Amino acid sequence: MKNFQWLIRREFWENRSIWLVPAVIGAVLVFGAVFGHVHFGEDFFRPDGNRGGIAAHFTLYVLTAAVGASFLIVASLTASWYLLDCLYADRKDRSILFWKSLPVSDTETVLSKLAIGLLVLPLVYLLIADLTIFLMSFVLSLRVGVWGDSGLWRADIWLQTQGMALYLIATMAIWYLPIAAWFLLVSAWASRAVILWSILPPLAIYLMERYFFGTHLFGSWLAERSGTGYAMRAFHLPGDGSAWVSTTLQNGPGTETMTTPSSLWAVMDFGGFFGSWATWAGVAIGVAMIVATIQIRARRSEI
Amino acid sequence: MTALIEARDLSKRYGKHLALDRANFSIESGRIVGLIGPNGAGKTSALRAMLGLTNYEGHLRVLGREPFRERTDLMKDACFIADVAVLPGWLRVDQAIDFVAGVHPRFRRDRAVALLEKTQIRGTSRMRELSKGMKTQVHLALTMAIDAKLFVLDEPTLGLDILARRSFYDALVNDYMDETRTILITTHQVEEIENLLTDVMFIDKGKIVLDASLETIAERYAAIVVAPAQVDAARTYKPFFERRTLGKTVFYYEHADRAKLAAFGEVFTPSVSDLFVATMSGAAQ
Repeated sequence: MKNFQWLIRREFWENRSIWLVPAVIGAVLVFGAVFGHVHFGEDFFRPDGNRGGIAAHFTLYVLTAAVGASFLIVASLTASWYLLDCLYADRKDRSILFWKSLPVSDTETVLSKLAIGLLVLPLVYLLIADLTIFLMSFVLSLRVGVWGDSGLWRADIWLQTQGMALYLIATMAIWYLPIAAWFLLVSAWASRAVILWSILPPLAIYLMERYFFGTHLFGSWLAERSGTGYAMRAFHLPGDGSAWVSTTLQNGPGTETMTTPSSLWAVMDFGGFFGSWATWAGVAIGVAMIVATIQIRARRSEI
Repeated sequence: MTALIEARDLSKRYGKHLALDRANFSIESGRIVGLIGPNGAGKTSALRAMLGLTNYEGHLRVLGREPFRERTDLMKDACFIADVAVLPGWLRVDQAIDFVAGVHPRFRRDRAVALLEKTQIRGTSRMRELSKGMKTQVHLALTMAIDAKLFVLDEPTLGLDILARRSFYDALVNDYMDETRTILITTHQVEEIENLLTDVMFIDKGKIVLDASLETIAERYAAIVVAPAQVDAARTYKPFFERRTLGKTVFYYEHADRAKLAAFGEVFTPSVSDLFVATMSGAAQ
């Protein structure tokens, strides 16, 4: 366990982008909040504002969703690149010969990289996103001049967003384990062009299946795994049960209908996610690829 | 006593190429052993096998362990420098010390710090900012601060200038070596290390062709410089290699009677580098 802590710390030394990238994004967003044009009137921030009371409920949701989405997209991209590069980079710069001269097992090394990509990096992004939202709320409240009962400062809503973020991180780590493990496998194995090697074998399988069997099983599995499959299982989507409510709003002369979650807790579908066989099939494939990665790592030296 | 390293029929195959071909050797503790061979002879393959960096066929025990299966445990008692330029560029000197201190139970931090204080290197420097010679000093300080029983060096001075090479070996012998430790060095620059070795192993085409202590070499091998008139007579004693130089011929003998050879000139023990050349060329003849 002590080794593992040092391995994690080591990753922060090597990959300062883990916290630098989200810090820059956060700084840009806060900068935008300070100097940007604020569209909405002060009513938007009031608990009883003119949007039928929805504003209060949603100001923090909207802000969190907007900020959270930008962090999530960048986190996915940087984590993917990290996983694809980490076991390749130290073979390329030959530093693997230094790391392997220390009493640290290949299992610990591989698992530390996996933990960074799937858990540590997302948690760092969450921490910085929280800080960003806090600073933006502060700046916006200051600019609009509404404090106290503003929709931006709602402890219960904030708690919901934190629960949602942790749920996202945990379930995404489980759902995307086979993809993360595939990236690590390529990173441990390839002697050049890791990006190409991460794409070509799946593409080859897809084309060969289509050519020889005329089917698309692998392709649809991959599309489901990387696309809609996750949200379908981890969340109650609109129209699914009582998690979503429709509200009709007076908007100038006409009306508009908004479909919104009744609460973020209600949207999380624990049973749907953990009860799905696809979730656990993915875990099994991921674990098998991690075991293979450790075996490859034990046999590889510098390139 | 039992050997520190023991290899029987050790083979390593890369595709069709046999880098190690049923090699047999053993190394006792307290020795400084040079593993010497031409490029591509299997030196690095042998070291990598001993350090658990690669799998192999045959029997191999290092400090009583199977290197490939037990690399993590082995690295608590053995350390190695595989070429000096392997510390990653982003790593800071103080981070390197922190990390090794964190994961290595036998690392003595005070010793590493004391060794580095003798140099110009600052703790906040990154490896990419250091010259190759300075990087060597850092790596050597990190490694010499580990209380290891076995220290393996693979071409440790490749790419260093002569001053850095000399101070590297001086530090190794003066600050590190004692009777509890064993050092194994590979190099193809024999002249550079022959004065510090107690044993040599010559490796060629994946096989160990000579494995002897320097005392044994002095007993077993002899050389003489012979004038042209006596060349034929000297040949009757079956030299395994001869070399012409400045109009005279140098003859190299194994297991020859020194008293009889003395009739042709002064008998001397060939240097390790001469013996290396003679053995390798003799095998080719």
